[in-house]
Amino acid sequence: MKLIESKTLGTAQASIEFTSIPQDGTDLVVFCSLRTNVNAIAATLSFNTGGTYTRRRLQGDGSSVISDTASVDLVVNASTGTTTNTFSNTQIYIPNYTGSTAKSYSSDSVTENNSTEAYQTLIAGRWSETAAITSLKITVANTLDAGSIISLYKITKGSDGIVTTSP
Amino acid sequence: MPTPTYTPLATVTLASSASSVTLSNIPASYRDLILIHNGALTNTDNIVWRANGDTGSNYSIVQALATSGGASSNSSASRTSGLAGSSYTQQSANITQWLDYSATDKHKTSLGRANSPTSEVGMSASRWANTAAINSLTLLGAFASGNTFSLYGVIA
Repeated sequence: MKLIESKTLGTAQASIEFTSIPQDGTDLVVFCSLRTNVNAIAATLSFNTGGTYTRRRLQGDGSSVISDTASVDLVVNASTGTTTNTFSNTQIYIPNYTGSTAKSYSSDSVTENNSTEAYQTLIAGRWSETAAITSLKITVANTLDAGSIISLYKITKGSDGIVTTSP
Repeated sequence: MPTPTYTPLATVTLASSASSVTLSNIPASYRDLILIHNGALTNTDNIVWRANGDTGSNYSIVQALATSGGASSNSSASRTSGLAGSSYTQQSANITQWLDYSATDKHKTSLGRANSPTSEVGMSASRWANTAAINSLTLLGAFASGNTFSLYGVIA
């Protein structure tokens, strides 16, 4: 796994975007540490331009659990209702990002809060486009706080020449 | 210098549909194994794994999942396989990690993330009640042509 780029916000921004993603990897992994300035925990992931997104979500909030077809991909710590100086944690895995089929991805996300209510969200996502992913953006309803971090890594498949496979 | 991680060990891209994929001669020189499955199935059966060709009732699982029927959790023991993703006939991304797979003093466990957009998302833990080091893994499922399997080693 190799770091492509890491971004730490020095000032608040509505989104963080990676462009010109190199095409020499197999999978992408995104790690996020995020906090937003409004009382809205939702954030979305998008690739390139266009296409449609479909998702299945499993989410717990400390007291209940839901299953739905969500319109969001991850949760972020909000300015109200979460402990000061805490940030959310997210890992997003995108296999075969240069492939010629629709892109599926996995997102695991939690908010941090010294209270009963905190969110844990699992997303199974799909982007309908068959183009290779060349850009990736995380967007929130208002702005991400300074100190939010997103790091993008690539993983390259291969063989060690020892493990054999069948078929 | 950073510790190397996600060392590529093997990759399989199916040229035609298959009901199983086996990865053999897995070296014991890593701490964890990670398998990434990407693709669609030809039916809605779970993807499951077996270690070292063991077909006995030596596996147990617990999982939490979300489907159109709601959120649920279940467990089962004395199974003949562990879970490696619950997939559907749509493009899916399934991730399974085997922890300390080469130890010879503990049963082997895996953590799984199943991702079938719109249909199912889940997390699972599986246990193989055997202290042997894992040297081969067999994935079972109704895999369609074009499915990919990538195995990586993670150094402690």
